[in-house]
Amino acid sequence: MPEIDDNQLVKRVAQGDERAFLTLYDCYVSRVHALTLRILGEPMMAEEVTQDTFLKLWSRAHMYLAERGSLLLWLLTIARRTALDRLRLETRRPILSDSNDPTEAWEIIPDGNGLPEENRWRSMHFAVQSLSPEHRQVIELAYYQGLSQSEIAEVLGWPIGTVKTRLHAAMERLRQEWGAR
Amino acid sequence: MTYYEHVPFRENIPAYALGALDAEDVGALEAHLQTCASCRDELAAYRAASDNLLMALPPQKPSAALRQRLQRRLPGAQKTVRPRLNWSIGRVAVGIAIVLLLALNVFSISQVRALQRQQTQLMDQMQNGQAALAMLSYSNTQAFPINAENVTGSLLLDKEYNNAVLILRGLPPVNDDQTYQVWLIAPNGERTNAGLLRPQIDQPFMSQAIYSTQDLVNFVGIGMTVEPAGGSDHPTGPQVFRVDY
Repeated sequence: MPEIDDNQLVKRVAQGDERAFLTLYDCYVSRVHALTLRILGEPMMAEEVTQDTFLKLWSRAHMYLAERGSLLLWLLTIARRTALDRLRLETRRPILSDSNDPTEAWEIIPDGNGLPEENRWRSMHFAVQSLSPEHRQVIELAYYQGLSQSEIAEVLGWPIGTVKTRLHAAMERLRQEWGAR
Repeated sequence: MTYYEHVPFRENIPAYALGALDAEDVGALEAHLQTCASCRDELAAYRAASDNLLMALPPQKPSAALRQRLQRRLPGAQKTVRPRLNWSIGRVAVGIAIVLLLALNVFSISQVRALQRQQTQLMDQMQNGQAALAMLSYSNTQAFPINAENVTGSLLLDKEYNNAVLILRGLPPVNDDQTYQVWLIAPNGERTNAGLLRPQIDQPFMSQAIYSTQDLVNFVGIGMTVEPAGGSDHPTGPQVFRVDY
């Protein structure tokens, strides 16, 4: 969906237009839910946070500034913060079991439909997938689990210096990868 | 600032962009960022990378029910929801209390009215009794005995002051749709209404003042009949007694 349409729809949402809100919901809910599910790992809790995210869109639409980024990025930023808050509230630590292996998670790719929006996330997904397992792991724990570098060191049993080095290298790699696209 | 002076801060920028920098290092980096444009540029580049991480996940559809739940929670959607009766235990209790209070109020009003009627009757009785006592104290008052089948008593008559009082004993009660009616009897036999009375339950005798706009001397006697409630223009029921004077 072109961003100009998003802006118009967000303005209508700010005026209480339910139909505009549902249009944006239908357009972006799968992206938001993918993020909340990735962070929380439990479908029911993820749905609750996805719902909270869209309720915030409904109540705070007037606060969206298009010049600061796309609506999708705004929604995903809200979703990540809300999900990490929920994760901290539950005082859960990431479980590095087979079912929640951050390495495996990046290897699951559904069949695509070839739309431009899908091609965009696919290219980003492949960039993460191209990282080494150690680099993906620190990115996963830092960004999707909200852990600090010292917490990652504790969880993985690595020296703090190793965590810093790998996290720095992973980000540098992503930066170069995405910068080249 | 030399390149080497930037190094300790630059090493922390990727972690800061991810939100993973330990709290004790955040303050120093943020202070440095305020004064260093090149490090701010560096941060912007890493922020773009971390923003892309938000976009890098394959879409996942939630359940279809989520959309409906969300719609119900929207303030606009809530306005269109048909209001349902939501009777909590507290509201039911308040409702019952109101009904009980109303019933108690109606009962109290009926009790007050019954007491008022009883008080009026007692006042009438007292006035009649006082009138009878006053008449007995006058030397001109004449007493005529009443001896009928079911009732005995006296008629006190003061012709000078045109007053008369009936004192009756053993007057049986009448039905709700009946009343006793007193008549003044003219020499030609015509009857003139002189008032209604109902005997008081639990009272062995009762008194009734006779008020007339005409001189009592124009009549020759007083009689009583049983009439329909509200009284009649002329006697229609059985005679209870008659006393001539």
